[in-house]
Amino acid sequence: MLPTGIYFDNYGSEARLLKTTRARISIALLIAALLAVPLLASAYLLGVGAQAFITLIAVLGLHVTVGMAGQINIAQSAFVGVGAFAAAKLATYGLPFWIIIPLAALITGLVSVVFALPAARVKGFYLALTTLAAQVLFPIVILGLPSDWLGGLVGMPVEPLMLGNYAIGSPERFYYFTLIIALIMTYAAFNLHRSDFGRAMQAVRDNDVAAQVMGIDALRIKISAFFVGSLFAGVAGACTAWFLQFVTAESFTLFTSVWYLGMLIVGGAQSPIGAILGVAFITLLQEGLHEIGTEILRNSREAGGTIFAATNVALGASILLALIFEPRGLAHRWNVLKEMIQFWPFPNR
Amino acid sequence: MRLLIKGWVAAAMVTGAGVALSVPAKAAEYVMSASADFSGPFADVMPSAMSGITAITNWWNKDTGQKLGVKVNIKIYDMRYDAAVIARTWPSILSSDHPIMHLGFGSPDLTTLMKRLPNDKVPMIIGTAMVGLVWQPKGWHFSIRPTYSHEFGALLAKLQKDKGDKLKIGAVSTQTAAGFVDQVKGVEKLASMYPDRFEVVDTQWVAASPVTVTNNIRDMLEKKPDVIMVGGTTAQVIATAAALDELKVHIPIISSSHNGLSEAGKGGDLSKLEGDYSVFSFAPDNQKELPLRDIYLANKEGDGKWGLIADQSAAQALLALRVLEKAVAKVGPDKVTGEAMYDALLGNTYSEKDLLGALPTLKYDDTAPFPIGEIKAKAQIVKDGKIVPLGDAWLDAPKLDKW
Repeated sequence: MLPTGIYFDNYGSEARLLKTTRARISIALLIAALLAVPLLASAYLLGVGAQAFITLIAVLGLHVTVGMAGQINIAQSAFVGVGAFAAAKLATYGLPFWIIIPLAALITGLVSVVFALPAARVKGFYLALTTLAAQVLFPIVILGLPSDWLGGLVGMPVEPLMLGNYAIGSPERFYYFTLIIALIMTYAAFNLHRSDFGRAMQAVRDNDVAAQVMGIDALRIKISAFFVGSLFAGVAGACTAWFLQFVTAESFTLFTSVWYLGMLIVGGAQSPIGAILGVAFITLLQEGLHEIGTEILRNSREAGGTIFAATNVALGASILLALIFEPRGLAHRWNVLKEMIQFWPFPNR
Repeated sequence: MRLLIKGWVAAAMVTGAGVALSVPAKAAEYVMSASADFSGPFADVMPSAMSGITAITNWWNKDTGQKLGVKVNIKIYDMRYDAAVIARTWPSILSSDHPIMHLGFGSPDLTTLMKRLPNDKVPMIIGTAMVGLVWQPKGWHFSIRPTYSHEFGALLAKLQKDKGDKLKIGAVSTQTAAGFVDQVKGVEKLASMYPDRFEVVDTQWVAASPVTVTNNIRDMLEKKPDVIMVGGTTAQVIATAAALDELKVHIPIISSSHNGLSEAGKGGDLSKLEGDYSVFSFAPDNQKELPLRDIYLANKEGDGKWGLIADQSAAQALLALRVLEKAVAKVGPDKVTGEAMYDALLGNTYSEKDLLGALPTLKYDDTAPFPIGEIKAKAQIVKDGKIVPLGDAWLDAPKLDKW
């Protein structure tokens, strides 16, 4: 809903992602602030930022599969792993990053289709179980393949990212690199919502029988939702490979998949804003509490066990509280806040 | 009169110079960074692990550092046993602390840092045993211990010698962690190198935290193993002991330090582990004479406790500090760099006496990330419901080629 006085002369204006000047200025300021972060932040914080951008890409993919199409996926970490191994392998052929990233994404998307096929017959918890199979199979397959393919038990080293002859190894450069990729993928996720495919996914999510009656090929849409969600995972995987500079099957666990899903649920599954807020909220909470623990540790003679156990309890409690007080996700709270500002000084609800 | 004044001035200058010289010069300070896991899978043992490092460093700063004009600051970072946390923390450690050595913890440190360390010119010493997976030349990552398979080999060689005949080995492990699979592969290599001494008769792949392995052990018993090697998790050791108890069979279990007798003993009755072994390449915490333990107990701060974990990390820190002594001797107290530490580690032999009895004599080169030459280990056994050292002498590990 838009406040009185904002109207559109043509369809193009109404279909814009950023409909008002205020929205465009806000986004420009946000991007400027993100670009300025390396001027103020430490190398550690830049690392946290880069990892948060990579996580955001993976969670945006999950938003497409789960939030838009309603297909439960608890194997997003395994798909990120597929992207990471694909990128690590492609990098050994000396390919540039702008070829590696799309190829890794495509390979991941194709792999995900295999696990999306059961979506033709099952849904809900049953579909969740089939994606769990993907997560369980991932390390078994990587370890079982000949070691000269994907490193087998050892894993694969990855050379630092190069842009021509320019190394992107330093925290500042890698921060900018992941920021740019995350901005592109975020734009893509928002854009999906106003596409035919995006609307079809939402129709299938809301009622797949009704969607079919309306002429939507529900099976194709469900499989495509996995494919597109995994394209995001593949991009996140390629960035992860350059971030860790070493990929092993052990880095892509079910636990991480659950965290991705948790971020999406806390943020709100049905909007890309939810993915952004969920990743920001959980990352800030984890890092903030951890930083507090580290500070206490530095100023005490304790060896740290109790302090960090307390921070983990606080992390769990904060997530619980967020879900109790805003079960529709932080994105809903964000929308309420946005409307309040738009309608100020008039009450809007 | 003028002569008298001159005399006083001269005397004052001499006294002043003397006073100035008698003020100790400010010690050169160096940082050794250390990886901890306060919020990951090893959180419960971390206070003890870190207390080992800090206690030995406190002692060394007072005892040796002062004489050398050097002070070491240990900076502990909670890496959460997570490769991603290490990847983002390491650049910050490099830029803010400029460490001359990193004290690593476990495989996430190894996999994340081993390609970066040669470029960053910072050597790393870890306290956990190595795995054959990273047995690569020209690395800057080292362990105070050889591979798990070398350590198992040392005890297996002793047991085979005692038996006099070929030793039949059964193994229980998990395929979910590459390092655990690697342990079995290393022992299989040992058996292939000495076919008249060892035979791996069966390997049972089970879950990392199994509820029961009774069926697996029943299957293994058909192959009549003399010992069962469990190098994976503590839960696997406990489950194997329970299975043997249930099947009314006694076959010695051989575990390592991370899943050893003291860890498995926490989960239940030690009498179920009677006659079982732990083997590792450092002196057992309960060894009768152990100078390292006395120093730890006299210098410990915080909430850590002496035990196998503190013992291992204290030995890890001690080797790093002995390397620093050699580096200072070579380049001077104020010119020590990571590169000087690397050269000192590879260019010297560290005797058992220098290492306060905690480690055997160690020598490194750039062909392997662990000690070369004669590889030795010590073991513990449960006897009359108590964990005791298996003799005082080091056990010799048979030569083992790369697998």
